[in-house]
Amino acid sequence: MNDVKALQEERISIYHDVYDNKVPKRVPVGISLPFEFVAQYGGLNLAQAQWNPSIVEETADKLCQKVYSDTCVFSGSLRFPSFYELMKSQSFVMASNGFIQHPEVVGMMPEDYDYLIEKPYDCILERVLPRQYKALDAADPINSAISLTKSVLAYNNDFMESGMIVGKLTEKYGYYPGNLFSGGFSEAPFDFIADQLRGFKGISMDIRRIPDKLKEACEAVYPIVFKKGLPAQISNYGQVFLPLHMPTFMREKDFENLYWPTFKRMLDEYASMGIHCSIFCEDDWTRYLDYLYDLPTDTVLMFEYGDPKIIKGKLGKKHIITGLYPIVNLKTKSEKECVDEVKRYIDILAPQGKYIFGFDKQPLLLNDINLENLCAVAETVRDYAVYTNPGDTAGIEFKKEEYKVEPSRKLESKYYKTWDQYKALNPNVSEFGKDKLSNLEDAVFQYLVYLLM
Amino acid sequence: MSDFKHLTEALGNLDEEEVLRILKDFVASNPSQEEAQKAVEACQDGMNIVGEKFETGEYFVGDLIFAGELLNQAIEILKPVIGSASEKKIGTIVLGTVHGDLHDIGKNIFRNMAEAAGFQVYDLGIDQPVEAFVEKVKEVHPDIVGLSGVLTLALEAMKETIDGLKEAGLRDEVKVIIGGNPVNQEVCEHVGADAWTTNAAEGVKICQGWVK
Repeated sequence: MNDVKALQEERISIYHDVYDNKVPKRVPVGISLPFEFVAQYGGLNLAQAQWNPSIVEETADKLCQKVYSDTCVFSGSLRFPSFYELMKSQSFVMASNGFIQHPEVVGMMPEDYDYLIEKPYDCILERVLPRQYKALDAADPINSAISLTKSVLAYNNDFMESGMIVGKLTEKYGYYPGNLFSGGFSEAPFDFIADQLRGFKGISMDIRRIPDKLKEACEAVYPIVFKKGLPAQISNYGQVFLPLHMPTFMREKDFENLYWPTFKRMLDEYASMGIHCSIFCEDDWTRYLDYLYDLPTDTVLMFEYGDPKIIKGKLGKKHIITGLYPIVNLKTKSEKECVDEVKRYIDILAPQGKYIFGFDKQPLLLNDINLENLCAVAETVRDYAVYTNPGDTAGIEFKKEEYKVEPSRKLESKYYKTWDQYKALNPNVSEFGKDKLSNLEDAVFQYLVYLLM
Repeated sequence: MSDFKHLTEALGNLDEEEVLRILKDFVASNPSQEEAQKAVEACQDGMNIVGEKFETGEYFVGDLIFAGELLNQAIEILKPVIGSASEKKIGTIVLGTVHGDLHDIGKNIFRNMAEAAGFQVYDLGIDQPVEAFVEKVKEVHPDIVGLSGVLTLALEAMKETIDGLKEAGLRDEVKVIIGGNPVNQEVCEHVGADAWTTNAAEGVKICQGWVK
């Protein structure tokens, strides 16, 4: 076996140990740099490179040689301009520096709540998407269809191009073959309504003005976000990734009443199927740690801020912790300070396993950090965070039988056809087409909901 | 109107229905401009209570946004009776989200609270180039420049903006405060700002301290 294969096996074993409730040989180093950062490292024009994802392969390869990580250093991108631009997106737009982001925009009015509650997917397709994506224009149906088709093609193409780079580099350098987005991606029901439907301002009004409707709306969109996150294959080693946004901006009583119930049920329902989740707890979740404890065992909790000691003490035996190391340190502190600090984090977070090293957030652009500091921190974790008791049981064990949920509403819409519905409308269709047609239905669903995440 | 204290309390409690009821009754009573000005002040005092409740952890960002909207509604109702008597401003702030960042929730909360505290605020908007800040500072000679940003990429943009003010010879004329998720003391020193905050209410207090 060559060195790369041996290294990959070691990486697979340390990640699998963490997910299997065992203390690994050493702490996995989960560092990934986004497309934009990588493009700038190669001296590429950011705006141009994002239109041609393959172009970053060489520079991504160089970064893999420079930066130590157990997962692929190049993370790919969540946002390419092609498919947003073709749809005339107002939800995701490119800033003056070429970085695509989500400004505060409104896709749903307060008066749309009743329709959202009655027919959630219909409401989203008929009302929300056309507000956020101006190429969808009911008065110009043929051009709308053409724009949508081009956008879907671009979406498939660009994610495939960047995914291929990740795949190639994973094999070339023997990385752990599984990154943040490999196991499904979705949002909590409340965040889905807040982020792209009502906006930050709108949701803040609704929480106080029409909490009952908002609560019903979370129930209504549940089947959509639940289905969106479902992974193609269920594995103990993959996670559905959910970035959580609104909780720390809310009062606890609103969080408890409006946010938590549907989110908790979502994770319980996944857990009942053996599906794990990885959640990004944006901002400082200190006041919600008891809630997090109640999530299914072995949920991967990626923290931004908070006291590592308190977090490890409260959650470390049950859940897998990652994040917390402040990325801004890599800009504002010396290499020695960064290295000393990461040892402090490891001393607190690593004992007894259930820990993967990660930063509190990804650096977005090259100038966000001093790359030499990042390299020093990554190598320190690799060499310093070694366990003396590998193979020991880490903490509480996940058992899917422990999770039971009431059946939730199903996704029902004239815009989404199950195989039986399709067959009823097209009685002559061959059973041989079942998988293909069902997969196409789901691919379109995935694309459309992705536009709002 | 004897209800000013009640108005302040209702706004502080974010009791929208009560605030609007009091103000509509007040406007219907045909108040003098002087009385109307007192109602405005009562609302501003209510915003102070909101700021205090935010600092003590009773309110959160969503509540500040709600409070800003409520205050806007209140001022709209009062507009016809306030007249032209303009209130004396306690200071001037040029505010904006730095280039490369499209986020403005935090900036808008700060603007609402700073205006309620009596500042004249010139809000440049989001993704603003260095020159936009430099030009506005030359034009209005503010006491304070407020730089906002949410993404880590905003930190370098803040530094470039402050460097731009230096190059234009304007840095010593103004105090600079930075605000947003990724800022801290080290960042403040790194970019060359005078103060930093991740808390709009605290940011307004810092600004008040500067113009005393």
